[in-house]
Amino acid sequence: MESNKQYWKGLEELQQTPAFVKESKGEFAEPIPVEDVLNEAGLSTRTPRRDFLKALGFGVGAVTLAACNRTPVHKAVPYLIKPEEITPGIPNFYASSYKGQSVLVRTREGRPILLEANPSAVGLNCGTDAGTQAAVLDLYDQSKLKGPKLNGADVSWDELDTHVAAALNAAQAAGKQIRIVSSTINSPSTIAAIARFTEKYPTTKLVEVDAVSYSGIIKANGRSFGKAVVPHYRFDNADVIVSIAADFLGTWLNGEEHTQQYIGNRDYKSLEKGKMSRHIQFESGLSMTGTNADVRVAIKPSEEGPLLIALYNAITGESLPGAISTNQKAQTALKLVAQELQQARGRAVVVSGSNDVAIQTLTNAINAALQSYGTTIDLDNPSYQYKGDDEAFETFLAEVGRGEVDVVFFLNTNPLYEYTNAGALAEALGKIKFKLSFADREDETASELDAIAPNHNFLESWGDAQPRGGYYTIVQPTINPVYNTRQAEQSLLLWAGDKTDYYTFVKDYWEQQILAGSSKTWKDVLQTGFEFKGDQPASPYSFDTSGLGTVAQTIAAQSKTLAKDVEVQLYQSVAIKDGKQANNAYLQELPDPVSKVTWDNYAALNPKFAESLGLGENSLVEVAGENGYTITLPVLMQPGQAMGTVSIAVGYGRTKAGKAGNGVGKNAYPFAKLQNGTMQYNTSATLSKARGSYELAQTQTHHTIEGRNIIRETSFAKYKENPGHNADRFADKHKTYDLWNKYEQPGHKWVMAIDLNACTGCGACIVACNLENNIPVVGRDEVRRRREMHWIRIDRYYSIEQGGQAYTEEDEIRHLDDMENVSVVHQPMMCQHCEHAPCETVCPVLATVHSSEGLNHMAYNRCFGTRYCANNCPYKVRRFNWFNYWNDSRFDNYLNNEFTHLVLNPDVVSRSRGVMEKCSMCIQRIQAGKLQAKIEKRTLKDGDIKLACASACSANAIIFGDANDPESEVSKALKNERVYYVLEEINVQPGIGYMTKVRNTYEA
Amino acid sequence: MSSHNESIIREPLVTGKDITYAKVTDDILLPVENKPNKAWWIGFTMAALGALLWVFSVGYTFWTGIGAWGLNKTVGWAWDITDFVWWVGIGHAGTLISAVLLIFRQNWRNSINRSAEAMTIFAVICAATYVVAHMGRPWLAYWIFPLPNQFGSLWVNFNSPLVWDAFAISTYFTVSLVFWYCGLLPDIASVRDRAAGLKRRIYSILSFGWNGSVKTWQRFEIVSLILAGISTPLVLSVHTIVSMDFATSVIPGWHTTIFPPYFVAGAIFSGFAMVQTLLLVMRKVLNFENYITMFHIESMNKIILATGSIVGIAYLTELFIAWYSGSEYEMYAFSNRIAGPYWWAYWTMMTCNVISPQLFWFKRIRTSIPISWVLSIVVNIGMWFERFVIIVTSLHRDYLPSSWAMFYPSWVDVGVFVGSVGLFFTLFLLFLRFLPGIAIAEVKLLLKSASLQQKSKLIKEGHLDSEQVEFFRNTLTKYDSVTDEEIKELETK
Repeated sequence: MESNKQYWKGLEELQQTPAFVKESKGEFAEPIPVEDVLNEAGLSTRTPRRDFLKALGFGVGAVTLAACNRTPVHKAVPYLIKPEEITPGIPNFYASSYKGQSVLVRTREGRPILLEANPSAVGLNCGTDAGTQAAVLDLYDQSKLKGPKLNGADVSWDELDTHVAAALNAAQAAGKQIRIVSSTINSPSTIAAIARFTEKYPTTKLVEVDAVSYSGIIKANGRSFGKAVVPHYRFDNADVIVSIAADFLGTWLNGEEHTQQYIGNRDYKSLEKGKMSRHIQFESGLSMTGTNADVRVAIKPSEEGPLLIALYNAITGESLPGAISTNQKAQTALKLVAQELQQARGRAVVVSGSNDVAIQTLTNAINAALQSYGTTIDLDNPSYQYKGDDEAFETFLAEVGRGEVDVVFFLNTNPLYEYTNAGALAEALGKIKFKLSFADREDETASELDAIAPNHNFLESWGDAQPRGGYYTIVQPTINPVYNTRQAEQSLLLWAGDKTDYYTFVKDYWEQQILAGSSKTWKDVLQTGFEFKGDQPASPYSFDTSGLGTVAQTIAAQSKTLAKDVEVQLYQSVAIKDGKQANNAYLQELPDPVSKVTWDNYAALNPKFAESLGLGENSLVEVAGENGYTITLPVLMQPGQAMGTVSIAVGYGRTKAGKAGNGVGKNAYPFAKLQNGTMQYNTSATLSKARGSYELAQTQTHHTIEGRNIIRETSFAKYKENPGHNADRFADKHKTYDLWNKYEQPGHKWVMAIDLNACTGCGACIVACNLENNIPVVGRDEVRRRREMHWIRIDRYYSIEQGGQAYTEEDEIRHLDDMENVSVVHQPMMCQHCEHAPCETVCPVLATVHSSEGLNHMAYNRCFGTRYCANNCPYKVRRFNWFNYWNDSRFDNYLNNEFTHLVLNPDVVSRSRGVMEKCSMCIQRIQAGKLQAKIEKRTLKDGDIKLACASACSANAIIFGDANDPESEVSKALKNERVYYVLEEINVQPGIGYMTKVRNTYEA
Repeated sequence: MSSHNESIIREPLVTGKDITYAKVTDDILLPVENKPNKAWWIGFTMAALGALLWVFSVGYTFWTGIGAWGLNKTVGWAWDITDFVWWVGIGHAGTLISAVLLIFRQNWRNSINRSAEAMTIFAVICAATYVVAHMGRPWLAYWIFPLPNQFGSLWVNFNSPLVWDAFAISTYFTVSLVFWYCGLLPDIASVRDRAAGLKRRIYSILSFGWNGSVKTWQRFEIVSLILAGISTPLVLSVHTIVSMDFATSVIPGWHTTIFPPYFVAGAIFSGFAMVQTLLLVMRKVLNFENYITMFHIESMNKIILATGSIVGIAYLTELFIAWYSGSEYEMYAFSNRIAGPYWWAYWTMMTCNVISPQLFWFKRIRTSIPISWVLSIVVNIGMWFERFVIIVTSLHRDYLPSSWAMFYPSWVDVGVFVGSVGLFFTLFLLFLRFLPGIAIAEVKLLLKSASLQQKSKLIKEGHLDSEQVEFFRNTLTKYDSVTDEEIKELETK
């Protein structure tokens, strides 16, 4: 039933009044003034609240949309045609060699980024020195020439070739001489190329001269044994090593190979066998080798010769005149040393760092008396790394002076910087019609010449080397030339009219000469990197002592002339060496192993001697040489420096090395003097205090352990009684309680063991780490502010001995009156990957956390830079990005430019400003190793993963591996009784074990 | 607060003749309602230049990176955190005065709490700028808070004292601000009622519709008490947590259990010193002598003496424990403070913080305005050095001597610090211009009980013990706002 009921809401509805009818049509009781608002008048009327809100909403929305910016899209362009051998993300390794060392070049997408020792090479097969590591940066040096130059103007290669040909033909026609002045060339192919050139231009002669010369040794061996060569030293066969001022672990001859040999008799494996060599060092300045010696005696340069005379007399019972009569400490030590040497006949070696023929002849006599030839010194497989002849260069200068030379080429040499008398050389050069340099930059010499034909970097070159008898290495390019350069040998061939490609030339040479009669092919060599024909049997040599009296007289006379109030010792620093790599920012920022100074050379003075001259920290001193050459240098207070001597590094003071190297330090080469046909690096000078002050940029400014047990050391005698002697000194034996949960590490547990006995302090690991992990170079000023970014550093501590007691506290040392007797320890220090890491608890945003493999991770993207972790790190190994080093113009001269960016390792991000960073234990390498094992469906083996620092270490001082694998080398090493943990008493449970420093001292 | 008569032996908290409610309002609103005088302009110009220096220095730091400062690989905090702790410490007096003294019914706080609270807020603002400015990537500063995010399960580390710190400081700032503003409401209403035009409209908005009804006053009292209750633990907690930034670390010289009480005492010490520095000038320049009297000055000096002594004992305890612990690193840290390269900082701290407040044992010194003012500044210099000593001398020589380094400030470090002082004074001077520097309503509460006028009336009425009257009269001699005539008047009766 339908209801007809009607409900009404009011009388108006019931009655349907006109007003009600009118109003009931609208949706709203009150009309909305839409029309009013939308007409023109309405828009200018007072805005109702709703409209205001609408406008507000629209406005905010519109502004927000307008303010939005599309995220910029960076496109990664893939290979259009992928080269067969390149897979993005996978490194390729090429065998090559650098300065005769066989290396593997790691390349990524066609860019060489790292050098590592070729593990299957002969001789030096583990580790590279800092210079070799850093050499890859030289490839991308922005200060190099972008193309050939003629009379200061950029020209094409064709123009240059025409010009050179004209000059050569003119010289040929006039019957004038052509000279190629070069540093040592031990590349058989280069020598062959020069021979080809000489065929065309028969007046050509090669003059080999090295910035730092070893011609004294060569000549002495020529006179003593009729073999004018540098012998191959075999420190691995030596139980007793006596070095008179030879920095044989660092800069003397082949430091890295010596290190590998030397450490083999001193590291933990040797100690476990109960064997350790004894090393006695007599020297003026504290060298890196001196810091590793068991006994070190400070002597003046003028005492080197008389000391050797005394040593000869003591060993042979002869009585040559002129034996040392001054230095009481040296004389006492000498007696013991002589005894020791006599007992170790055939297992001993005496080396002298002098370049004087007489001194080297006497050294030969001593070694012959000790029966060292054939065991510790090998003359039959000599070293060809240094063949320079100082006399030959003098002859060249004389020829030039007589106007006989019309054309000269300079190859890999920079005599206007390196030669002692640059003024005379410059004058002589004026007499030569055409002068050309193959330098890769407008260096001090090249910029003064007529033309520059920039040579390839070795990473762009084909070539080879013969570092020693019977051993040949290959050089193969790993990148197309970065700049418009041409290999020097190619230039010589072209100028000789030989259009052969130098690659073919090298290949032909190898196939016809070196590989002839061998089953190996050229391809095999490219894969292995070297060809070893086997050693000649090393034979003993006898010494004819008849002329020794004259030699001794010469030595005594020279010593007398040298003995002045202040004697100068010129040396090469471990990082910069002869100065050829002075524009390498990584090397300039590598702290000196001894002084920890970066970016400068200095006058090293004994603190007591400096005091007596009124000099102190930050003083400047004026050094005036015998020849009138004067430079002002900052003073370095160097404990261990002999009183009355000053040591100055050569290789600094380059003026045209490039943006990074210009004006770093002062040139010390002009102090050198020619004496009896060889260059002498010991001389005398007068010192006077100069006005002003200068702060050296040191990475370490406190030099002693302050009696703390962070360094634990013992003597070899004590070690033999108890291998754990002093390792657990002060170690807490009480029960410890943990606030932390124990981390589970079921898979791997990455740890390290560091052998303090093996570490020589050279710093190759630092450069390797820099390259592997894209660590910025910050420059001198920032190092002064103590902001170097190195993830691994080598702490060097002195202790001073006086009256039979060792002092390690600076307050005590201040009162000592003898600062010559110093013993040194090097301690590599990096993130200890603590199990109870203090950094991890304090990070507010969990940017640094612990991994299940025992690593302390750093998530750069999460870090906002409170620096609390660095403050709370007891080892102070965390590094903060104070600036945006990769995008800040003040760092352009070092690594922040478009070329050097190419050296960056793409596996590691470069960190932005405001972020903390630190050693990651090369997590990218760990990850790569694990992935490789996974691809090959096998478990990870010990040795699959090598960290950058460890693989750069020739001494095997850093052992990395998995502690969960009981068979790994590191697990075994950490079971060694010598192991202790730095700061173990604060229970941070570091993951890196150190092995005590053992010294094979006498009094023990 | 009560209308009953206060004991005559209590010293008057408000002096001056013919003090009426209207006169109180007139006196206190004088700087707010009139054009600023020359002294204000000079002060404001200098302060504003300082603030500009701050903007420039902080801007430069943001532009180039923290490398603009003098920090290094060993010393990761120096002037930044020194200044931060210094400002947070200064902020402490405000809360103590407004909250703790309110709960303990110390009604002498009524004349000084407003400025002290304002100072707290400005000091905490200065401190908070360092929290952001010291970060390597300050644009990510909000990561310190556990905000829900789209980055996955990224969360803060609740183990880190810096997270606690962020909570402590932000809570403290919020509560202080609310407390201060609530207290301001009746006074803003007074300004509103006396103003006209735009000014009236602005103050009208700011006064949140205060109408002076009984209900409003009742709620006001309740809110004040509740906020006081909330703030009181903050007085202890904030600086306790700030001290944990150091105490929970492993660095010798930081790793110390004594830090929380020692920091709190130090904070109150420096806070009262800063109140003293400000109010002694303010009462002179703004003619507030009748409201901020010698009694206030002396009371604050007594607190400075007490907290200074606590701080001194803490220093000595630290030294004793360092020796008694037998820990070589701890011992070295403290001998390095005393005789290391920063010995001058340590001895500046010792002289300023331990020796100088001991002078307040002498009544003549603690009632001398110039000496009090100088000593209040000395104390804050000492407290700055205390933080510098704790932070820099502990860090610069910690465990491995190879990393020992010196810290030298750069011009930016100095600029940020001097600038923050400028910023502080800029804010404080603006505060004095636009808001009443003394709590008008709260001072009015004292008029009928604790004013000299009221007490004189009681004396004139007789019925009081003459010995007590004599005592009262003697106490008046130290007041610089009470003339000899006024004292004599009381004598004749």
